[in-house]
Amino acid sequence: MTRQFWKKIKQVRVVTSLVFFGAFTLLFLDAWHLVPRSITTALTSLQLVPSLLKVAMVGGAVTAIGLMFVIITTLILGRIYCSTICPLGILQDFMIRFARKLNRRKRFKYSKAPQWLHYSVLALSVLLLLLGSSMLIGDLLEPFSNFGRIVNAFALPAVVLSNNTASDLLARFGLYFLYTVPLHPEGVGALSLGLLFFATIGYMSMSEGRLFCNTFCPAGAILSLLSRVSLFKLAINKDSCNDCGACDKVCKAQCIDSRSKEIDFSACVGCFNCLRSCPEDAIQYERRGLPDKHPLRVEFNQGRRDFFRNVTVPTATLLLAPGLVQGGSALTGETKPITPPGSIGIRHFTSVCTACHLCVTACPTGVLQPTFMQYGLSGMFQPKMDYSVNYCNYDCVICGEVCPTGAIVPLDVPAKKLVQIGKSTFNKDDCVVVSKKKDCAACSEHCPTKAVHTVPYENGLFLPEIDNELCIGCGACEHACPVTPKKAITVVSNQVHLKAKKPKPEKAKAPVPDTTGDFPF
Amino acid sequence: MDRRAFVKQTLGASIAFGAYMKAGKVFGAFSDTVLPYDLVAVKGGEPGAMFDQGINALGGMKAFVKKGDKVVVKPNIGWDVSPDRAGNTNPQLVARIIEHCFNAGAKQVSVVDHTCDQWQRCYSNSGIQKAASEAGAKVVPGASASYYHDVKVPHGKSLTSTQEHEVILDADVFINVPILKNHSGPRLTMAMKNLMGNVWDRGYWHRTDLDQCIADFATYRKPALNVLDAYYVMKQNGPRGISVGDLVEMKSQVISTDIVAIDVAGAKLFGMDPSSVRYLKTAAEMKIGRADIENLRIKRISL
Repeated sequence: MTRQFWKKIKQVRVVTSLVFFGAFTLLFLDAWHLVPRSITTALTSLQLVPSLLKVAMVGGAVTAIGLMFVIITTLILGRIYCSTICPLGILQDFMIRFARKLNRRKRFKYSKAPQWLHYSVLALSVLLLLLGSSMLIGDLLEPFSNFGRIVNAFALPAVVLSNNTASDLLARFGLYFLYTVPLHPEGVGALSLGLLFFATIGYMSMSEGRLFCNTFCPAGAILSLLSRVSLFKLAINKDSCNDCGACDKVCKAQCIDSRSKEIDFSACVGCFNCLRSCPEDAIQYERRGLPDKHPLRVEFNQGRRDFFRNVTVPTATLLLAPGLVQGGSALTGETKPITPPGSIGIRHFTSVCTACHLCVTACPTGVLQPTFMQYGLSGMFQPKMDYSVNYCNYDCVICGEVCPTGAIVPLDVPAKKLVQIGKSTFNKDDCVVVSKKKDCAACSEHCPTKAVHTVPYENGLFLPEIDNELCIGCGACEHACPVTPKKAITVVSNQVHLKAKKPKPEKAKAPVPDTTGDFPF
Repeated sequence: MDRRAFVKQTLGASIAFGAYMKAGKVFGAFSDTVLPYDLVAVKGGEPGAMFDQGINALGGMKAFVKKGDKVVVKPNIGWDVSPDRAGNTNPQLVARIIEHCFNAGAKQVSVVDHTCDQWQRCYSNSGIQKAASEAGAKVVPGASASYYHDVKVPHGKSLTSTQEHEVILDADVFINVPILKNHSGPRLTMAMKNLMGNVWDRGYWHRTDLDQCIADFATYRKPALNVLDAYYVMKQNGPRGISVGDLVEMKSQVISTDIVAIDVAGAKLFGMDPSSVRYLKTAAEMKIGRADIENLRIKRISL
């Protein structure tokens, strides 16, 4: 093949990656809910770990097709996923590019990927998953989710603030086509941890290329195993190679040993930089039926060893220490978080959710908000229903539709209306009607099922009353309750979701005097 | 210049109107216009057709809207329910009112509400966004504190200040278009209660003294016109309702410049003693309008 062809294949790769990067970024920035949900599903179905979880949990044809596509392309061409579809991969490529701009002489150098560590991390992640925690495979290490959280925590506020500034300005001229979008910044804990992660991955990529992808990333590990048996592999043609070492210097995965003219294809992220760099076109895809010649080697270079010791260990300690302390107590008592309808219960939710925060962006009311450690260590960053922000819209099922992992199982509207995620509790003494002897009814007016209704009280006033068989725990009553600082009506989480009784429609009676005759005045 | 200062400056006319209003005049209507009736009640037709007849009896929309006026039409768009559930004002009625405003020469008609459920879902699923836009109105968002500006309620007892939506502050004519419904707290929601959608902080009303605040806010600005939709009337489980079973088809409509009179008529249509509605009693005592509708000039129209 000609050199032009190989140049082009890199361009195709770059363009594809930019398209995917743009699309995934938009998904997480879509506080305007403009992206059709079919497109969201199609895009997220291409995310390996979320789709594996979803297919295992709930199935779904689109997700299965997406997953098969990823697996089959990897079995043919290796880990091209990592440099085209993975948004965290492309984000690292941006940072690598930035590092090169800062230091034009920045060169990579072959360094055997610590695959024993990588596969061990994957094994541990899977083990934890089987034990009921998506902490490693999801919350902490999953690339799509980490990307989502970075966009949600840092880029989305900037976009929303710009929008709101512009919409405020336009409103002065009576123009309302841009509207104010509510902004709910994350807590200091979640933000600092997000920043720490962002800084860590930034540092790793700027100094050691795609080190994260070949050390911690669970998707990278799975694809690495698959690429060991892929049909075509990149290899150096030893006859045409002129030993210039150009490929070695541009390899982000640091997997080309130009001295021995070997490529560790299981670490290759398919960026095709080497193809373009080679003056002799000595690197090409070759058909290789045989398993990779590279055995797992336990080898470390000193720089990386220092890196792991100086960065990873303290980071892990920082992460785990508060989690272990808080995690133990978080799931007891009245403070249990409420999980969204479709999430079955806290256990299903926390063991499948990877905390990508796509539902947080997609939720039209904003009731889904990220947590930090409220679910304990195994559910870091995962969203909860936050009734201080808003309540769950009765006819809305969007979170289940967009959830890429099956942590929130898709529900149709009639089914959703009967899922009880919590129960209302009424503290009568704090209620305005009792404490002030005044009408209020903010809770009952908002209640979509009339689980919260009013009954006659003193002096012609009406007092709220709860029928918890009808309650779905949507939080409308709690959100609307005007009593401060402690609400007089609150929702307590159902650890396992229950089925509510269907509201029984009763036929209304026509007023007396009958209005089919004259006006009653 | 901050937004509030800007609004205050550019809306000098509105503020002058505010002072004018305090004198007890009707905002937006022509003080020298003598209307042929105090209240018009229509029944037996479609919402649009009933409004045609009703407004005609009052001398047409020209009695309320001058050429070049900026009009705000304020329906109840509080809930994410479809038009057949009658949790929100009938979209056909809203559209017809907008058409009459434009025919009378309005420069601009805006539709706004501070909804309870998520605003875009309310605007869209109520059918009002579509109907109002097709009629040529500007549908304005109301779901952010940034749109609301502090106003004084000088005659209020419990509510002495609040925040009103800027598009209403900026309007020459304000038309209040509530729907008649049962309410779990103050028993009924009609014209006075509908004005809760003009303001940002409703929590204050609820935790302070809802009935008094409803009456207080009615002293702040009397709408140029109130149109009460009673085509389908939610008799129970209000104000959101749980099914179409909550409704009774009454095919009625009441139009009045008097916000108390129209609510008294509404209560009677509903089949309730108006004096059992606390805020209505308070409003009558505060002489915000006439509760003695038997002494008013009423036009009754049956289609």
